[in-house]
Amino acid sequence: MPEQRIDLPQGTLDLLILRTLALGAEHGWAISERIHQVSDKVLQVQQGSLYPALHRLERRGWIKAKWGASDNNRRAKFYELTKTGRKQLETEESEWKKLAAAVAQVLETA
Amino acid sequence: MLSDVLIRLRGLVRHDTVENELDDELRFHFEQQVDKFVRTGMSLAEARRRARLEFGGADQVKEECREARGTHLLDLLGQDVRYAFRTLRKSPGFTIVAVLTLALGIGANTAIFSVVQGVLLAPLPYSEPESLVLVWQNNLTLKHTISDSYPDFLDWQRNARSFQRMAAFDWQERDLTSPGTPEHLNGKVISSGFFETLGVGPILGREFSPEEDKPDGAPVVIISNRLWRNRFAGSAGALGKSVTLDGVNYTIVGVLPSRFRLFGDEADLYTSLGQGDPLIYGDRTIHPIICIARLKPGVTIAQSDAEMAAVQDHLDQLYPAADRGLGANVKSLKQEFVGDVSGTLLMLFGAVGIVLLIACANVANLLLARSAARTREFAIRSALGANRSRIVRQLLVESVLLSLVGGGLGLVVAKWALNPILAAVPGSLPRSENIGVNVYVLLFAFSVSIAVGILFGLAPALKSSKADLQTALKEGARGSTRAHHRAQGSLVVVQMALTLVILVGAGLLFRTIRNLWDVNPGFDTQNLITFRVGLSPSTAKSSSGLRSAYQQLIERIRNIPGVNAADLTVLVPLSQGQNIGPFWVGSAAPSSSAQAPRALFYWTGPDYLRTMKIPLLRGRYFTPEDTVKSEPVVVIDSVLARTYFSDRDPIGQAMTIPHWGPVRVIGVVDHVRHWGLGVRDSYTENQIYAPLYQLSDDWAPMFYRRVTVVVRTPLDSATVIPAIKNAVYAAGRDQPVYRVQTMQKIATDSMSSQRFPMILLGAFAGLALLLASVGIYGVISYSVSQRVHEIGIRMALGAERREIFRMVIGQGLRLAVAGLVIGAVAALILTRLLSSFSHLLYGVGASDPLTFIGVALLLIGVAVWACYVPARRATKVDPMIALRYE
Repeated sequence: MPEQRIDLPQGTLDLLILRTLALGAEHGWAISERIHQVSDKVLQVQQGSLYPALHRLERRGWIKAKWGASDNNRRAKFYELTKTGRKQLETEESEWKKLAAAVAQVLETA
Repeated sequence: MLSDVLIRLRGLVRHDTVENELDDELRFHFEQQVDKFVRTGMSLAEARRRARLEFGGADQVKEECREARGTHLLDLLGQDVRYAFRTLRKSPGFTIVAVLTLALGIGANTAIFSVVQGVLLAPLPYSEPESLVLVWQNNLTLKHTISDSYPDFLDWQRNARSFQRMAAFDWQERDLTSPGTPEHLNGKVISSGFFETLGVGPILGREFSPEEDKPDGAPVVIISNRLWRNRFAGSAGALGKSVTLDGVNYTIVGVLPSRFRLFGDEADLYTSLGQGDPLIYGDRTIHPIICIARLKPGVTIAQSDAEMAAVQDHLDQLYPAADRGLGANVKSLKQEFVGDVSGTLLMLFGAVGIVLLIACANVANLLLARSAARTREFAIRSALGANRSRIVRQLLVESVLLSLVGGGLGLVVAKWALNPILAAVPGSLPRSENIGVNVYVLLFAFSVSIAVGILFGLAPALKSSKADLQTALKEGARGSTRAHHRAQGSLVVVQMALTLVILVGAGLLFRTIRNLWDVNPGFDTQNLITFRVGLSPSTAKSSSGLRSAYQQLIERIRNIPGVNAADLTVLVPLSQGQNIGPFWVGSAAPSSSAQAPRALFYWTGPDYLRTMKIPLLRGRYFTPEDTVKSEPVVVIDSVLARTYFSDRDPIGQAMTIPHWGPVRVIGVVDHVRHWGLGVRDSYTENQIYAPLYQLSDDWAPMFYRRVTVVVRTPLDSATVIPAIKNAVYAAGRDQPVYRVQTMQKIATDSMSSQRFPMILLGAFAGLALLLASVGIYGVISYSVSQRVHEIGIRMALGAERREIFRMVIGQGLRLAVAGLVIGAVAALILTRLLSSFSHLLYGVGASDPLTFIGVALLLIGVAVWACYVPARRATKVDPMIALRYE
């Protein structure tokens, strides 16, 4: 594949999934597509990590799944944020921002 | 978290739905991807190819999703079990050997555990048994625990405050003549409140009232459940009916629950102790009874022991002539019941545990060899995405499955082995009626199986899961065989060491039994038959009637062709019977009866000493002329002669026997090992023989009731017993002949406390030896098969067959010798325990060099023998074939 790819740091995938789902319910393929698009094709989520992550988040109760019809009218499993998921997203987002700012600051000054 | 639980639960309950959903979800993703590629202008086939490539291992993704959901564990277990079944079925040879090995190991352990459980762990079958105690007296001068005198017991009952209740009993055999056929039965005399003390109520009627526990009380009896069913058809109408015991009618007032026992034996008849013979129960210097008591709540044994010492001390001052020099002490009933056996049983339990370890080492070895062969299978599995813990888990499931099957079969082995074990040890195990395969035993077998499966499976599992993927997958690679060899070698060393420990234990006990057989019992145990006779009540009316009835009986037995000699005795040596009393030299009585020396009293017929072939050292044997009308005479043994007549000739000296009077010593005979061939801790070794026909009229009936006939005959007991019975029945068909035994049997039984562990330890040692030889054989022949290439090269380079043979045997021997050294050190430590346990060893030291050397040689011989076959195979290697094989 021609696109440049960056490996996601541990735990980031969960945050990206939660963030993507904050816009509305989506199925797995659409989530990976959206991350790919929004990141200007830098981030490519492999199915091998996406689905285990979805199932893990579902088990933690941050997202919930229901079956629905996709754009092309196929049966697909849609995930959406739960209330705790939304709270979790807020925490993780702010933590990530703090972390990113801190890392950036170190990189710039050091 | 709720969602967590719900998801796991759903995965469990709706397993298939969840799996299908996972499939659908991933397929949807795949199809979306294909669509996307098609939209960019790819052909459908090309799009599918690309998507599949990108997707990677679908199974691996699914596996990780299951793991993420947390529902996979049980799933995996099911898979693992199915897979384990398949792989085990694919190698039936391995499976059968492993399962049989485990079945033997677990079976032996389960059998011994059921003995330990029944004898040591199970509570006594009385209510709140932990508060039940026995109160003994002890002779402070002779430093020996003795049974109690009845008058002292009555004083204890009045004075002691530590107990809710105190009761007493004594053994008393009875002849039942009505209703039904005459029968000699075991019985007890008991105080009132006896059953209430134990917390066991009669199922019918009541126990004795305090009024019935007195000399003038009404004659009443409580009967066993067995007797009730046999003689009264289990009818409630039995109450109030009467039975005739030794010519006296007793009214039945109670029936006991079935299986009620005390001290192992089942008595059929319980009569009142208070109505017992005042000659023995009315005399403070005679100690026939055993006191059983229940502690008050909160009172400890130590507290009650201290109180009883004070109570007895008071009696010592009140009745100095009888009691001065006596103490009293309290012991837990359970402890007294189980006694010395607990040490022996725990030792056997340890030994059988060692056998199981050896069995485990064998199976671990098999697994190691097998896992070496399966290296590629594991490599492929991990290449396909199985992580290390998954492979370890799979292997553990396999080994636990093996051990569970082995354990199941082991239960069958245990059930089948238990009866021979118990039959091998008649009378040497208390509470043996309690032993069986019960729920505790099942639980034990189950948990041991699981533990053992993990124990022998873990090391091989960890080892094989570590295998290096790269090398393992390369064709023909030898992988980690070297590490396997080392692991297998050390397992063999451990096996050898453990086997040596058991062999030494068995060897020491074997030597003990050999030594015991060599002990001179003081008489000739060959060609002797003993039995007892119940004289018909019609002849047993008076003492003189009894005397002449017995004289005629002996006369008739002597006249049987083939009978060399026969006579009566109240005591049979080696048979656990005892009749101990005080005596003193001269006529001056000691100040207290308790402080007088003690001796065993053999009241015998005139020809007893000759019949037993007890050698006469000085003076003369008894003659028929020693009767109630002549001077009372005794024959003493060499121990008494040496101790009390060291400075003079005992013949003609005067002694005093309480309750009888002054007597004259007429002979000295050799000492007889009365207490058993191996017993060293006895109350007294002094022995006094006295003529049965000189017993005074008041004492005669009690002693005559207890006589045993000894017959010396070269004939087989099966041929002579019918003739003896005819001789007995000639004087009346209602005279039962019972307890027929050869003296050889009595001598053998007297060694049961050593024979029982020896037989079992011997069996375990044989099992250990078998398992260890299978173990060393397996390892050496496996190593030969792995080294075929190397051996081929050696031979191609000119090594001789003899050298190859020596090399293989040497490899086995090195393992064996390393095991022997470690085992010898362990055995030296452990046998010290053996010798401290209840005097198990006799005439042999715990570190007896002969046993150690003999056992080591045996083990080396077995090791060489086990290596012989693979060594021969190694010499048969054809270098051409071996080299081409690679």
